[in-house]
Amino acid sequence: MFERFTKPARDVVIGAQTEARELRHRHVGTEHLLLALLRGDSIACTVLRDAGVHPEQVSADVQARVGAGPDPLGQADAEALRSIGIDLDAIRSKIEETFGEGALDQPHVCEEPRRGLFRRQPRHVHSASPRHLPFTPRAKKVLELSLREALHLKHSYIGTEHILLGLIREGEGLAAKVLTDAGLSLDELRTHVLDALDRAA
Amino acid sequence: MSEATELAAAASSTDPRVGLRAVLALRRLLESLETLQVDNARRQGWSWQEIADALEVTRQGVHKKHAGRRPAGTRREA
Repeated sequence: MFERFTKPARDVVIGAQTEARELRHRHVGTEHLLLALLRGDSIACTVLRDAGVHPEQVSADVQARVGAGPDPLGQADAEALRSIGIDLDAIRSKIEETFGEGALDQPHVCEEPRRGLFRRQPRHVHSASPRHLPFTPRAKKVLELSLREALHLKHSYIGTEHILLGLIREGEGLAAKVLTDAGLSLDELRTHVLDALDRAA
Repeated sequence: MSEATELAAAASSTDPRVGLRAVLALRRLLESLETLQVDNARRQGWSWQEIADALEVTRQGVHKKHAGRRPAGTRREA
C-alpha cells in the first residue's frame, strides 16, 4: 500500500513516529498522525490551519488527555551525574553498542508474556532497535481508510489530504476527539478538504 | 570557571540541592537500565523468577513492576 503514498504522505507516516517519540509515547496513534499532518505545507496542513488547528494546541490537548511518558535522562541529569563522577555519555555509548541507538532513552515495549498453549513456543528474538514504534489499530485503520478515500476520489496516489480524510472518516480516535473538542465539525472539515482538492485540481 | 574546577566544586558541594539532584539522576539512570535489561531478559526467554533472582528481589516485585508494561495505547483509545 505504501508505494502509492506521495512523498509528503510518507513524511507524515514517518513524522508521526517522531511526534510519538517526542511525547515519549510507546505507540503511534491517530493523534500523532494529526500532529505530523500539521507540520509542513501540504493541502491537509493548510486546511487544518485555516480551521484554526495548530500543532502546539493539539500537542497540549493530547498531553492533557494522556500525558507524556516518563522523563528521559536529560542534560541536567548528565550534569548531576558528572558531579558524582559518572559519565552518562560513556554509559550511553556502551549501551548503544549493544542495544542500538537511543536504547537508553526510548520507552521500551515489553512483549506480553505468552500464556497457556503458546508458552512453549520458541520466543521470537526481536531486533534490538527500539526506534520503530508500533501503530495503534486506529492509526492503522486511518491509513487503510486513506487508501479507500483515494480510491473513492479516483486518485491514483495517496496524499496527506487522503490521510486527513481517513482521520475524519475513522472519527473516533484521539485526533478526532481533539478536533471536535476544539469545536470543529468533522463533516465541515471534510468539505473543506474536498473544496481544497477541487481548487487544486 | 574551568570545567575541572566546576566539577570539583560540584563534587565537594554541601548544598543538598546538588547532591539530591545527583541522586534523582542516578535513579532515572537506574530505572532506564532496569527497563532495558528486564525487557532484554524477557525477550531471551528468562522467567520472572530468574530475573528476580538476578536482581535479588522477589518474583512478585519484579513481575508487578515490569509485567504490566505494555505498549501504551492498548488501553486507551488512540
